[in-house]
Formats: sequence, structure tokens, C-alpha cells
Amino acid sequence: MGTVMALFFVVVVAPLVGLVLNGADRVVTARLQGRVGPPLLQPLYDLVKLWRKEPLVVNRVQIGYVYLHLAFMVMTLVLLALGGDMVLALFAHAFSALSLVIGASSVRSPFSRIGAQRKIMQMLAYEPVFILLVVGIYLRTGSFMASAVGRLDAPLIVSLPLVFLAYLVALEIKLEKSPFDVATSHHAHQELVKGVTLEYAGPYLALIEVAHFYETFLLLGIVAAFFVRQIWLGVGVALVVYAGAIVVDNVCARLRTTWMVRCLWTVPVMLAVCNIIWLYVRRTQGG
Amino acid sequence: MEALIGSQGLTKMTRNELAVAVLVVLPLVGGALAWLAPWRWLRSAVVWLTAGLSAAAGVYAVTLLPFSVTLGSWHEVVAVVCELMLVGLVAYFAWDERGWLIVGLCAVQVGVLIFEWLEGAGQIPVIKDAVFCLDGLAGALVVIINVIGGLILVYATGYMKVHSCHGGGRGAREGRFFLVLTGFLGLMNGLVLANHLGWLSVFWEGTTLCSFLLIRHEGTPEARGNARRALLINVFGGVVMSLAGVVAQRGGAESLEGVLGSRLTVVFVLLCIAALAKSAQFPLQSWLLGAMVAPTPVSALLHSATMVKAGAYLVLRLAPAFEGSAVMDVIALIGGFSFAVAAALAVSQSNAKRVLAYSTISNLGLIVACAGIGTPLAYAAALMIVCFHAASKGLLFLCVGAIEQEIGSRDIEDMGSLLHTMPLTAGVTIAGMLTMLVPPFGMLMSKLMAIEAAIEAPLVVLLVIAGSALTVFFWAKWIGRVQTVSYHARYRLERMPRSMMGVLVVLCAMVLGGGLGSLAIYRQVIEPMALGAFPHAAEKAVAALRAAGQLHSWPILVFPLLAVIAWLVTVWRFNPGYVRLPYLAGENRDETELSYKFTSVKDEPVVAWATSLYFRRTLNEERITPWANLLAWLLVLSLLGVLGGR
Amino acid sequence: MAWSVHELLGRSPWFVHYNCNSCNGCDIELLACLTPLYDVERFGMLHVGNPKHADILVVTGSVNHRNARVLQNVYAQLPTPHVVVGLGVCTSSGGVFAGSYNVLGGVDKVIPVDVFVPGCPPRPEAMMDGFLRAVEILKRKSAGLPSAPAEKEVITVAPPSGPHAEESDAA
Repeated sequence: MGTVMALFFVVVVAPLVGLVLNGADRVVTARLQGRVGPPLLQPLYDLVKLWRKEPLVVNRVQIGYVYLHLAFMVMTLVLLALGGDMVLALFAHAFSALSLVIGASSVRSPFSRIGAQRKIMQMLAYEPVFILLVVGIYLRTGSFMASAVGRLDAPLIVSLPLVFLAYLVALEIKLEKSPFDVATSHHAHQELVKGVTLEYAGPYLALIEVAHFYETFLLLGIVAAFFVRQIWLGVGVALVVYAGAIVVDNVCARLRTTWMVRCLWTVPVMLAVCNIIWLYVRRTQGG
Repeated sequence: MEALIGSQGLTKMTRNELAVAVLVVLPLVGGALAWLAPWRWLRSAVVWLTAGLSAAAGVYAVTLLPFSVTLGSWHEVVAVVCELMLVGLVAYFAWDERGWLIVGLCAVQVGVLIFEWLEGAGQIPVIKDAVFCLDGLAGALVVIINVIGGLILVYATGYMKVHSCHGGGRGAREGRFFLVLTGFLGLMNGLVLANHLGWLSVFWEGTTLCSFLLIRHEGTPEARGNARRALLINVFGGVVMSLAGVVAQRGGAESLEGVLGSRLTVVFVLLCIAALAKSAQFPLQSWLLGAMVAPTPVSALLHSATMVKAGAYLVLRLAPAFEGSAVMDVIALIGGFSFAVAAALAVSQSNAKRVLAYSTISNLGLIVACAGIGTPLAYAAALMIVCFHAASKGLLFLCVGAIEQEIGSRDIEDMGSLLHTMPLTAGVTIAGMLTMLVPPFGMLMSKLMAIEAAIEAPLVVLLVIAGSALTVFFWAKWIGRVQTVSYHARYRLERMPRSMMGVLVVLCAMVLGGGLGSLAIYRQVIEPMALGAFPHAAEKAVAALRAAGQLHSWPILVFPLLAVIAWLVTVWRFNPGYVRLPYLAGENRDETELSYKFTSVKDEPVVAWATSLYFRRTLNEERITPWANLLAWLLVLSLLGVLGGR
Repeated sequence: MAWSVHELLGRSPWFVHYNCNSCNGCDIELLACLTPLYDVERFGMLHVGNPKHADILVVTGSVNHRNARVLQNVYAQLPTPHVVVGLGVCTSSGGVFAGSYNVLGGVDKVIPVDVFVPGCPPRPEAMMDGFLRAVEILKRKSAGLPSAPAEKEVITVAPPSGPHAEESDAA
């Protein structure tokens, strides 16, 4: 019964939460810029509209990767909700992004292809942090199962504070926020039009949006998981983190891709590595 | 075969001996017949028949498993004579190629052999073991060698027909080519079946010679140079292996089983160094990169079913006995290092065959790393990679061969629009690459297990993770390029010899089916083998092994499957009216060329070209390779250092 | 129109902007619509960079012989349902360039236009009014109802009274 509830939650409720969060993002962004902004449910209206539009494509190959993008994203959430293997979930999450990359590079569009390459650069930048996060959780729980996190006596944040900081930076990339919104952006008309999502129109774009809702929920859910046991504290922190991400989005300019990778691989990744080394040392001394 | 055995009333023992004999001799005889065949059709028929029979024999042999074959003491004389003959042949060819260093190494090897022989006569007590044995590991390799190798042989008959039309090879050489190619399978079978170190060494030398002849096949200066380098490195491995034989004899062992039983670490390290040469691990990787001058079926055979797998097999065979020793930690590091560095260099390559070569080095590195980690889970991961890598990599090489014959280039950037010009090959290529990369296929699952197994060794896990990330990168680029295509209402199948097309389809089906069933294969075959290899494994290690088989398998099958079904439905109900040109700021020209065109300010069509990312400045092959080799040599030296420090 | 899917469709009109040799006056005023003072995102409008994601194609300028082909290409990449809005007097007649040797004189010579917003340049208020009319047409098109062809309706907006009046007069 618990499994069914968990599945229902991540498959049905999660995208709705993500939708509202994205609506709130747009409202808050508008307010920060001194505008009124759209209604809270604007992402829903966008979704309905996109669904009703003509599904324009360039070729038939690219369509498959939209479905794979969404499928792998939902799969990531389902695996985590079932308490499954975190490395597998990590791979599934990476392949979700990768599907977009492959789909975007399968059309003959320079903007799309450049977006795809930048998305790969993004993946190179943030994946180490995610992997170190999983390694850190393993060192803390002694298991690769996500369910082991729930059985911890002290929240993860106590043993993984530096990884948490690194994760916050990686979060900014995954949410496509400035200064890292290099692969696809509403704001970068001139340089890459819409990047990876350029050649997807109508319902296909809607599916990508839905996957983004799932992803928003997933990423903030991981923030909350750092505070597991005190789940409401976790939710509160996740919301604060999201608000912070929006503020950063509004006060930063876009970085170049190489700068992004450099920026991530110097401070955040090194912080996370220090944290992991500390855990290894503590483990060998304690065990 | 069963009837034959029954009618003659052979005992079980002789049946085993017959199986070994057939596996080793049949391909050699088939190759000789193909060499003698005066017409191409007859040669093809002989090769087909040999391939089919050896595949059947391989599968049949596995049903007899496990068994071992003991022979009278005469076999040692035969082994030494064979070995001396092979060394003589190698020296002859080396002389022919002006490879004085190789000749010198051959002389050293002869010296070592004679020394061993004289010493052996001096009454060192040696435990007599089986000469050949077939256990789970050898069985898996026998199936891979004969089934995948057989398919590659069939492909080669079609390939060489087209190849010679392009003026690639001359008719007279083609007979010899098939002799060596077919015989290779027999030698490889012998290698994995051999338990006696003398015979192991014979077959080891035999595969070295075969690969040299195959690489040299084209006869161009480049081919000869690369063949010489391959010979040098592998003869070096052979000498090290002969040395291992001497040390083992002094330790009272004459077989792999004996080495395992008496835990002769020095022998193990020497055999590992020989294996590193064969498996083209850093610092001895250069010969495999040079080997791609050979016709593509050769590359396919060297990279997937034979040759490089021999080294990985040897390490895997020996690793369980040395579990937990400092030597193993260094082996794991060497493997992890090769995995990561080769993957990084693969990112910088646009030559498809070079990408595949680096990917092979990288995957073999992961196998070696897993063997070095030495837990049942790591061992299982290594076995998975051996199986799935052989199938997928063989398939990809065959695809690249077919593509190269069609478009005249092996550059990845030239492979746009393939989906239109050769839909079958392109589709199979994409499928092959996806099986190397995407869940739920076996390669990914084995990488997952490798990461989970390596977690206790921080440095190795770092290397494995880095390597996995980079692996994803170069495959993704390639997939994107191959499937770049404009809209075409219908696709017409390309023209290709039937044997090539058939092999592509069959092998692709095998790869996809095996990949999808990877978890089942893991539970049914790999897990028992890993448990068998580690009879005294700790409870926790066994639990980790079992946990890997108990992954939630339904989401990883259901979700991608749903996506694929959705895609098929969309394609089925596709309305061509929805097709538009890609967005080029409104300046599109026609969409029929390989690249996209737009209108310039002069009102002329301009071809724009966006290549993939290669990081040629950061990941400069010429600059990185010497440093990587230096580091790898240091690691190998530290292997000896660990040995001395014991 | 009752609350329906088509109604929702009208709540998220994304527009793409194409300049057919306009003098940039209309373009600057169009961007003013995005600023806090006017903020068209209130109506769910987003300024997107490509026709494939757009519902409204906003054209400025008198079309000339060279960019007519481009305009057609961009129009062809709009997914249905879509509407076209012409901003400024140039789009309806060619404006001060009408009759010039290189100018076609009006967007409707090349692609069908649903709403014209005249002015040189039109005020942002007029543009927003034009957009909302376009959205009504979009809803009708989505519902499959016949949409009225553009009758080159004249929209004038009185100069605003208040603190901004002098500024805009001075400008």
C-alpha cells in the first residue's frame, strides 16, 4: 500500500507541485523586476496551449528522444520513491538529459546542435557533484539503496554539509538558471534561440515542460532529503533554496560554457571532494 | 556429433578430449582449406562451414562443462616444439620486417625456453595438473569466440569481396587472409582452454603471430610499421609469460591451477604484465590503435571476440586467488587508469575506428580494474563487460566497416544523413551504440556494478566514475551525428552483400536481446560463476552480489519501453504535413545536402557546419599520451615494487 | 465564449517578432511592452525567439523584395493555430516608404495578416490592444470558427493624461 501511495505521489502529485513551483518562479521573477507577472497557474495554461498546437518536427527520429527524456525522468523519481538503487537513479537522470542532447543533435539546426553541445558541457559540470553526493550518501549509510537514507538517525546535512553547498550550485545549472542557463533559455534569443528545445513544437515542447516539472520536484526533493526525519524543515529549506535560486537567476549574467565548467570544478567540486575524503577518513578510523 | 560419439562408444573422457581437439583444430583445418580453395565461392563456403561448425562445437562444449583433459607427459615435448616453431616463425617475419629488437626478444625467449627445459629435466618436483580445462569462465569465452567470431568470419567473406573490388587486397593474399583469420579462432579457443602454462604460452604466441599477419595484410608501409609495433609489444608480453613459466616451475607449478593453488604472486604479476600487453592497456596500448589499418573484420575480431579478450581472461582467471593483496590494488589502479584516460582520449577523436579502439582499451581497463578490486560483485561486473562488450563492439566495428565501404570515410563528422543513405546499417549502428550506453542494456548495468564494487577504493572509484562520464560523452556525440537526417517519406534499404547484411541483423538481434535480458543473464549465469570463483567470500560481499541482482528491474524495463512504444505509435500515425525545415532565421535553402545551407548577404547559398565538441586543445592526444604512458609505466613498476616489498 | 480549452489557449499567447526592414521605432516600442510599465506577461505573453514556439507572429516594417521570402519561411514554421499582427503603418501600406522601388508595401502582400496596429510607431497601449484582439482571433481559430479577415481597422489611442504626459510629448 505504501508503495502504491509513493508511486502515486511521484507520478501524479510531483508534476503538479513542480508546475506550481514553476508558476511561482515566474511570479517572483516578475516581482523582482518590478512587474506584475503572470498568474500562478501560467505554466498550466502554457501546457494546455502547447498541447493543442500543431506538432511540428524536422524528422521522425527526434520525437523518440522526447519520450525517452520524460520516461527516464519519471523513472528516476520512481526508482528513488521505491527506495531503489541510487546509482541506477543517477544514471537514469543523466540519460534523461542525454536524451535531449541526442534528440537535439539529430536535427540539422545549428542552434539546436550548439544547445546540445552546451547541454553536454553542463552535464560535465554538474554530474561530478551528483556522483559525489551518491558516494557521500553511501559512505554515510553503507548502502546504495535510497531507502537507507530514511533509516538514518541524524540528517544527512550533518555529515555532508560541503556536498550540500556544491549541490546548491549544481542545482542552479539543472534548473537552467543564470548564470548557467547556457543550453536552453527564454532569455537568450540572440545567441542560441532556444537551444536544445528549439526544434520541438507544440505537444513535444509540452512533454519537455512536464519533464521539467518532474525535475524541479526531484531536485528540490533531494534538498529536502538532506534533512530527512525533519521533513518539514527540509521542505522549508527547499523552498528557501528555490527562492534563492530565483534571486541569483535575476541578478546574474550568463557565463560562458568553459567558465561554467571551470567555476563548478574548482570550488564546488573540490568542496564536495573534501567532504568525501573526510567521510572516508572517519570511516577508516571508526571502522 | 552425439550420434558419432555414441556409435563409436567413446567414454566421457575421450568425448572431452574430442571437444578440445575439435575446438582447436577445426578452425585451423578450415582455414587451411580456405587457403587452398581455388575459387572465391568455394573459399566463402569453406569459411561459412567452418564458422558454423565451430560455433556449434563451442556451444556443445559448454554443455559438457566443467571438464578437464589430462594427457601423458609427451604433450610437454609437443608444446615446447610448437612454441619453438612459433618463435622461429615470429623471428623469421621480424627479420623480414627488419625488426631487430623483435629478433632479439625472440632469441631471449628461446633462451628462456631452453633454460626452462633443462631445469625441468633437473627433477624439480612439479604437481601434474590437467592440460586443458573448461570451466564457467572459459566456457563463456568459448561461446563468445566461436559464435561472435564465427559471425565475423561470415561477414568477412562478404566484406573482402567488396574490399578487393575497391583494390584493397589482391586475390592471392585473400586466401592467406582467411587462413589466418579462421585459424585465429582455433588458437584463441586453445588459449582459453589451456591450463598448462606451456600450452598457454604456445597459443599466446600463436595469437600474436596471427594478429601480426592480419595487421600487415594490406602491405602498405603504414600497415607494416603498425604490424611491427604490434609484434614487438606482444612478443615482449610473450617473453614475460615465458619467464612466468620458469618462475612457476621453480615454485612447483606448471599450470594456471597450480599457480592459483600455491598463490605464486611473482608468477601472477608476470602473467598480468603479459596480459596488459595483450589487452592493450596503458602503457602498452599503442599497438591496438595501429591495428586499425587492417581490414575491418580484423579489427572486429581483435577487439571483440579474440586477442584483447585473452589478456582480460587471464587476469580474471588468476585474480580470485590473490584477492585482497597489495598487488591487486595496483592492478585495479592500472585498470582504472586505462579506463579513464582511454575514455578521455576517445572524446578527442573523430575517426570512428579510433574512437572504437580507445573505447575497447577503456572497457578492458574496466575489466582489469574490476578483477583487481577482487570482490564477487566486481568479478561479476567484469564478466558482464566481457560478454556484452564483445557482442556490442564486434557489431559496431562491422557497422563501421560497412559504412566505410559505402561513404569512403571513417570520420564521424561525415556520417550525417546515414539514416537516409544506408538506413539498415545506420539503424544497427545506433542500436549498437545505445546498447553500450543506455539502461536497461548490459553494459550500463555492469558499469553500475563496477562503481558499486569499487566504492571501497576511493581512487579507483574516482577513475571509474570519470571514465563512465566521458564514455557517455563520446557515444552521445556519435549517435547524434549518425542520426542527423532530414525528413524523407520513405527509406530504401542499401545494397550490401547478403552475408554482411545478415550478420549485422543477426548480431544486432543478439545484442539487443542479450542486453534487455541482462538482469536475467546476471542472475542465471554470472552470479553463480562469481560465487564459484570466490568460494570463501565474506558474507557482506556475497550480500552485495545478490543485491545487484535484485535491482528494481521493472522500472528500467517499463519506462524506456513505454517511450519506445509511444515513439512507434507516433511514427506510425505520422502526418507528413507536420514536417518543417529547421529554424535558420528564415534563411533556409534546400534541405537535401549533407549539411544545412542558408542564404548569405550576397544571395548565395552558404554551407554552415557545426562539428561536435572534441576538446582537441585540452585533450590533445599527442600531448597526453606520453604523460599517460609515463604514469602507467610508474604504476607497472610499482607493481614490481610491491612485489619486492613483500 | 464559455470557459473551455480554447479559452485557456488564449491565456498563453507567445509571440515571435520579425523585423521586415522596419526603422526600429516599432521594435523599440514593442520591447517597451515587456517593461514593468506595460508588462504583457500579465496576459501570459512571452517573447520567444523562434516561430516554432510562437502563437503570434509580430511583423514590423514595410516588406521589401529580399525579405519577403524570409517572412514566408518564418510564417511557414508557425504551428497552427496562429495569428499575424502587423505593427506600424509600414506593415499595412508601406508607410512613408510606400511606392518606393524596393518596397512591396504591406505585409498582407506576402502573408495573411489578422490584425494591423497602425501608428508611426504605435503606442505600447495600442500594441497591447492589438495583441488582445489577436488573442480573440486565436481563440476563434482554435475553436475552428471563421475568423474575420483584417479590415485594416483604425486603432487610435488618446495621449495619456498624467505625470507621463509631458515626457511622452517631449519624446
